[in-house]
Amino acid sequence: MTDYEVVIGLETHIQLNTKTKIFCACKADSWDDEPNTNVCPVCTGLPGVLPVLNKAVVEKGVLLAKAMHSDIRMRSFFDRKNYFYPDLPKGYQISQYDLSLASGGYLDLPMPEGYTRRVTITKLHMEEDAGKTKNAGNLRLIDFNRCGVPLVEMVTGPDLRSANEAAQYLIRLRQLLRWLGISEADMEKGHLRCDANVSIRPKGSDQLFTKTEIKNVNSIDNVKNAIEHEVERQIREVEAGNRVYAWTLDWDEEKNELRKMRSKETEADYRYFREPDLLPLDLTQAWLDKILADFPELPLERKARFIFEYKLPEYDADILTGERNLSDYFESAVHLYAGDPKKVSNYLMNDILRMLNESGKTADQLKLTPAFLAEILKMVDAGQINTSTGKSLLEKVETSGKSPKSIVESEGLGLVSDDSAIRTVAEKIVAANPKEVETFRAGKETLIGWFTGQVMREMRGKADPKLATQILLELLKK
Amino acid sequence: MQLCDHSAHELLDLLRSKQVSAEEIVQSSLQRIAAVDGRSGSLESGQETDQDRGTVHAFISVSAEQALEQAKTIDQQLARGEPVGPLAGIPFSAKDVFCVKDTYTTAASKILANFKAPYTSTAVERLQKQGAIMLGKVNMDEFTYGSSNESTAFQPCPRNPWDTSRVPGGSSGGSTSSVAAGEVPFSLGTDTAGSIRQPAAFCGVVGVKPTYGRVSRYGIIAFASSLDCPGPITRNVTDAALMLQAIAGADPRDSTAANVPVPDYLATLEQGVKGKRIGLSPDYFQISYMDAESGEIHQKPVQEDIRAAVYHAAEVLQRMGAEIIEDVPMPNTRYGIPAFFVISRVEAASNLHRYDGVKYGYRTPSAEDDLRVMYRKTRNEAFGLQPKLRILMGMYVSAAQYSEQYYNRALKVRALLRRDFDQIFDLQGKYRLDALLTPTTPTTTFPIGAIYGDSVLMQYADQFTVTANHAGIPGISLPGGIAADGLPIGVQLLGPDYSEHTLLQIGRSLEIGTQDEAWRSQKPAVLR
Repeated sequence: MTDYEVVIGLETHIQLNTKTKIFCACKADSWDDEPNTNVCPVCTGLPGVLPVLNKAVVEKGVLLAKAMHSDIRMRSFFDRKNYFYPDLPKGYQISQYDLSLASGGYLDLPMPEGYTRRVTITKLHMEEDAGKTKNAGNLRLIDFNRCGVPLVEMVTGPDLRSANEAAQYLIRLRQLLRWLGISEADMEKGHLRCDANVSIRPKGSDQLFTKTEIKNVNSIDNVKNAIEHEVERQIREVEAGNRVYAWTLDWDEEKNELRKMRSKETEADYRYFREPDLLPLDLTQAWLDKILADFPELPLERKARFIFEYKLPEYDADILTGERNLSDYFESAVHLYAGDPKKVSNYLMNDILRMLNESGKTADQLKLTPAFLAEILKMVDAGQINTSTGKSLLEKVETSGKSPKSIVESEGLGLVSDDSAIRTVAEKIVAANPKEVETFRAGKETLIGWFTGQVMREMRGKADPKLATQILLELLKK
Repeated sequence: MQLCDHSAHELLDLLRSKQVSAEEIVQSSLQRIAAVDGRSGSLESGQETDQDRGTVHAFISVSAEQALEQAKTIDQQLARGEPVGPLAGIPFSAKDVFCVKDTYTTAASKILANFKAPYTSTAVERLQKQGAIMLGKVNMDEFTYGSSNESTAFQPCPRNPWDTSRVPGGSSGGSTSSVAAGEVPFSLGTDTAGSIRQPAAFCGVVGVKPTYGRVSRYGIIAFASSLDCPGPITRNVTDAALMLQAIAGADPRDSTAANVPVPDYLATLEQGVKGKRIGLSPDYFQISYMDAESGEIHQKPVQEDIRAAVYHAAEVLQRMGAEIIEDVPMPNTRYGIPAFFVISRVEAASNLHRYDGVKYGYRTPSAEDDLRVMYRKTRNEAFGLQPKLRILMGMYVSAAQYSEQYYNRALKVRALLRRDFDQIFDLQGKYRLDALLTPTTPTTTFPIGAIYGDSVLMQYADQFTVTANHAGIPGISLPGGIAADGLPIGVQLLGPDYSEHTLLQIGRSLEIGTQDEAWRSQKPAVLR
């Protein structure tokens, strides 16, 4: 049996999270709205009305282009892509064709296996979305809400070599889009849509063989699943001596199978030409500078820096840079705390991430601010509270919004470092446990831990454990 | 002479000095319409009658009640001493591509016969804001595709007030007819290859095609979006200046409307032509057209009395102090029409895509389950011949395998045409012209039915006007005389970007310089 190599390219449509649509003032996000409620003469293609470009779309597009290391064109053009469909009210889509916002670029994917896959970007342009068509019995229903919602279409080269890599690309892209704050990137809501072009070839070949296109996949797991199915199918066909046809395939999530939509032997002719209703898009240097002034450190760079600068394990650094908010949170807590960054990481990875998951909040929405977290860590370090009090404070601060110090004071959670108070309790414990005292004195000195625990329990955790141990040793060795 | 025969600036004086009321002005216009317009165009026109052959048919719809209502409001405001707009009480008509909220806007096509726009075009809105009163919508070639008005789906088509057996020109023929016949002093037209200037010449009125972007296209049903220019049609230059003043300027709803300040057109209007450099080009005194069989290019001089009228205009201007520069080369002029054929049809076919029967306008009554069938039947039943021809041609020349040969090549020609103008208007160049003086059309108006059907020949009526659309520059057609057969002749001034004030100023001088000439007192046949 021949060894096959899988060749995958992904076409993504990214819905930008602008307030208004790309060419009119209608609200862009219609997720919670009734059909045909966010529409106007412009986005429904009435005669005589004209598109006016939303600058926020350009700004978000530029941020993405920069993040993909693309060359940004100082002058780009909008073009008409002509085709008939009921949910395309003008009969053409305003898109960008040969001179789009950006050209070239790449995204590096660090794979869990340890290697890095560089994925080239062959297309990056802005365009308007079409509406939605739904069949209801004999009726064909159209929702124009989505018409004119801003999209960036981004297409990769045939650089991905496995379903895993394809999934990884989408994971990293989603991370990046959220990091840049340009898209909600929720695949279930269609903010990030993906078509996969899949082909196989004998290992060692550098030719591209006939590909199929998988459409309508609405989660990263499904993309992976669908590609795996398709690769298996293609190998089966080739092994059986058949050829692979250039089909368009539809992923049926419920049945977990691919369905043939249509044969696609020739490319449709969209008769592209320059959109005469819009001027060429000129990015001035001043505008570009303004857009890129706050361009953030990107996740992979930040991860590397966290490993280097804070000596975090790669695992920690990867999770902490999963979201920009979280990594910002981590970093400001580290600075305010000024202690061991790994301790901050532990609190985040174990407790705060769980809080975030349970509440659905993002790190910047927590009442438990980085400053409060740093305060808790410092109190633990100073022996003013013990570790478990520290952990329980996390919830308390988050619920009340009060500072950790004020909670410790008002609830009396501070460690008792009063010698006489601890001594009284310690004496009581020693007196009440003659057998254990016997054993200790007979040489089993590890029992000191047990004695300390008893004191701590008696004092409901408020005793300074070091002091308690010291007093106990004094009493036991008498 | 009736009230409606006065120009707008005269009416404004009469109204402000309280010699007449706005209502009287509107009534006078409505009476003129009743007297000369005949029945309005409709989809079910039936047989043409003798009476039809003697009337103008400029209007598709007349909104008399609303107009009178507005006039009364203005009169009340004036009576109370309240301020009114600078164009208060002036009636105007709008070509039926200008959307006006809650009125029908048909583009003279069956496919939009029942379309009511929920918005008003910027040009109409600005006129209304200044107090002008829309009297109705005027007929035109279907979707503006033509130079004679014969292609309207709303028959009878407009006729030329100077000779009702002849076409008014087009596509803004209803506009120029309504102005020439004294029905309104103002009309809004659009010009994609000459659609304001050519009918203005045929009807003996003033037509201004402003610089591309000078007047917003918002709310105007598009023909070829990169060429379309809305503009004024009036009976004299002063009125054109008044009207352009009202409609020009940037518009947040049209990003191709230029952010260039609008000068005070009236302020410079009477400043004469002393020192103005005005050119004449031999390339504008002959038409070049292709032999349909052999593809060879033939040349033919313009009609003699038209040539004479242009030279006469040049002499008048020279007498008034202008410098006339002859033999200005405009070598690419002859490619204007072929390039227009390609570019305009590509854009037109695309602009027509939205008329699919899905959302508004006509939908076939025999729609079956198949969407494609619905599209085909709708478009086949409701588009006339001209839209169909434009779709076929536009789809052909923009197809992937032909676009390099046709569309992209036409774009290069367009750049060359622009270069011709850049060179003659270049302030450091050899010619340094303020304007180029040309005939507007190669012939005077032709009889109804004489050319219709030959869409190639028809297009050559636009040979001298289309260049300004390619280049984006302004052009103005002015009455330049009456030919031996009694038909109006138009002369054209072309200038650099945003030189409307100069063209109006030269036009006004020509008006003054020829005001005592005999042809100036001749009237259109329907008013005799």
